[in-house]
Amino acid sequence: MKTRRFLSVVAAVSAAVVFQPMTVHAQKKPSLNIYCWSEYIPQSVIDGFSRQHKVKVNVENYASNEEMLAKLQTGGSKYDLIQPSEYVVEELVKSGGLEELNTAGLQNLKNLDPKFLKQAHDPENKYSVPWMAGTVGIVFNSQKVKTPITGYGDVFTDALKKRIVVLADAREAVSWALNSLGMPINEINPDSLAKSKEVLAKWLPLVKVYDSDSPKTPLLNGSVDVGIVWSGEASILYKKNKKFSYVLPKEGAHLFIDNLAVPKGAKNKELAEKFIDYVLDPKVAYEVWKEFPYITVNAEARKLMTKDELAIPASNPPADAKLEIFRAIPVETSQQIDKLVTDLKNK
Amino acid sequence: MAAAIVTTPVNKGHQRSPGWRGWLLLSPMVLWLLAFVIVPTGILAVYSFCEPGEGEMVRYAFTTEHYRRIFDPTEGYLKIFGRSLGYAGLTTALCILIGFPVAYYIGRADEARRNRLLILIMVPFWTSFLIRTYAWVNILADEGMMNGLLMYVRVISEPWSLLYTPYAVIIGLVYSYLPFMILPIYGSVEKLDNSLMEAAFDLGAGPVRAFQQVVIPLTRPGIVAGALLVFVPSIAMFAIAELMGGGQVPMLGNVIQNQFLAARNPPFGAALGITLLMLFILALWIAGRKQPAGNVVG
Repeated sequence: MKTRRFLSVVAAVSAAVVFQPMTVHAQKKPSLNIYCWSEYIPQSVIDGFSRQHKVKVNVENYASNEEMLAKLQTGGSKYDLIQPSEYVVEELVKSGGLEELNTAGLQNLKNLDPKFLKQAHDPENKYSVPWMAGTVGIVFNSQKVKTPITGYGDVFTDALKKRIVVLADAREAVSWALNSLGMPINEINPDSLAKSKEVLAKWLPLVKVYDSDSPKTPLLNGSVDVGIVWSGEASILYKKNKKFSYVLPKEGAHLFIDNLAVPKGAKNKELAEKFIDYVLDPKVAYEVWKEFPYITVNAEARKLMTKDELAIPASNPPADAKLEIFRAIPVETSQQIDKLVTDLKNK
Repeated sequence: MAAAIVTTPVNKGHQRSPGWRGWLLLSPMVLWLLAFVIVPTGILAVYSFCEPGEGEMVRYAFTTEHYRRIFDPTEGYLKIFGRSLGYAGLTTALCILIGFPVAYYIGRADEARRNRLLILIMVPFWTSFLIRTYAWVNILADEGMMNGLLMYVRVISEPWSLLYTPYAVIIGLVYSYLPFMILPIYGSVEKLDNSLMEAAFDLGAGPVRAFQQVVIPLTRPGIVAGALLVFVPSIAMFAIAELMGGGQVPMLGNVIQNQFLAARNPPFGAALGITLLMLFILALWIAGRKQPAGNVVG
């Protein structure tokens, strides 16, 4: 009798374990499910919203836009809020993957800097609200690098051979090559790919580290002297040590705008909109910027920044910088770009 | 399966095929294997014959293109397989070279000492693998602890750039998988009968010959198990190649990960994964074939 009861408990528990994912949705307690980049929303902001609206906030992280897209395609309507970059917003809008936002309800929308609004990926900001922007530029250790650095041509030289870190991102690498050739970074076709392959074939053998997650690490531990990195990483380096200078390549650079958006079929759209409005508050946006010093898209938050903070080069690009955002590209093109860089590394 | 359960003979004592209670006890594991091994592998196998989709994981159209690409030498994927196998092979060989003496020493030590040494082997597992790898990054970096020490005692005057090289990858792999080699060999060494060694010496064998013809054959099961435990996971390990190798050359694990997370080509990633699985099955088959042969010799 005892063993039988024990066995039935085992069976019940194993059944519960196996079928648990299906029963979770049955609970009805308001909670916000955020699917965002790792290291991009401070815990204090999540906690603040959770306290103010008395809701539970669940956060899951991803490390690339493509990872998030893959999850969205399989995970259905599990998430209420996502954080896609501009070219992914464009693709999701096209494929009907986003809910239209109730912008009239967003009291704090007026705080946003108009230069980050009404961009090509969402011309009327019907589906997305900018979260933060950033550039991809050159950071260098000015104590080690004595030659002037103004563009990509100054980085990929024999003098800096194996002293370079770059983002492990094939599309970024191709865009640098296209910029250096004076070609538009969004016109990716067999011809422009062939031309950028010639450039990258000379550049990539000089690279020591490929890292998209934390490119500041090899710069901090002295293993490399120069890098092509996210501006936020450069700001963190600069805050740690003023020897790390940041320049936007004169040939042109990539401006990225990361956004908040609600995926189609989200269960708690109103709560997601409340969160968007919450982070548009200047004080909250400033809090976000202080922890992740990219470029704030919030004009009112900028007014809260100190003089020193306004002087951080990577967080405050010059007004005349030549910057361009990424546009959506077909899946096939992503595959060709990845193949191109894999082949060059595989030499 | 249901029929087997019903027709089990009543012989309760030493039944060979499990009765319904046996099946019930096994059911969590069977369900686990079904839900997390069999079904996902099946999905992977199906995906590997599909075409990449636009706005969806895969498009259900049959193609063998992915396998053609993998086995076409001009595409370069065979080279990546070869490189990953090479790193895994070297890691396994180094783990045997370093791990065998350690395991032998622990296995021959007295019990109190043995237990203390075994705990030392397992202590690293108390810390997350990623944190331990980052620790290595800090040790090996140009301005890291090792270079700082070597320069302080004036062994070298310029930092030794070890981090972000293939050597660093091998160091990381050997470090991570060494316990998986030591523990199974220790298991074999512990069971080693001392009188067999003495017999070998009595019969005129020198230490080298006794080691070759007595110790090695008797500990072979442990060596084979350890080799499998090291070789199989190190083929697909991508974190160490990225964090300690700087991701300079593509390894199999990185390429597979890329297909899902960057290149947006899940079916090709699935085909690479299935090919790798076939390789593992081959490795297991080879290892399984050798073992009875070893027993015959022993």
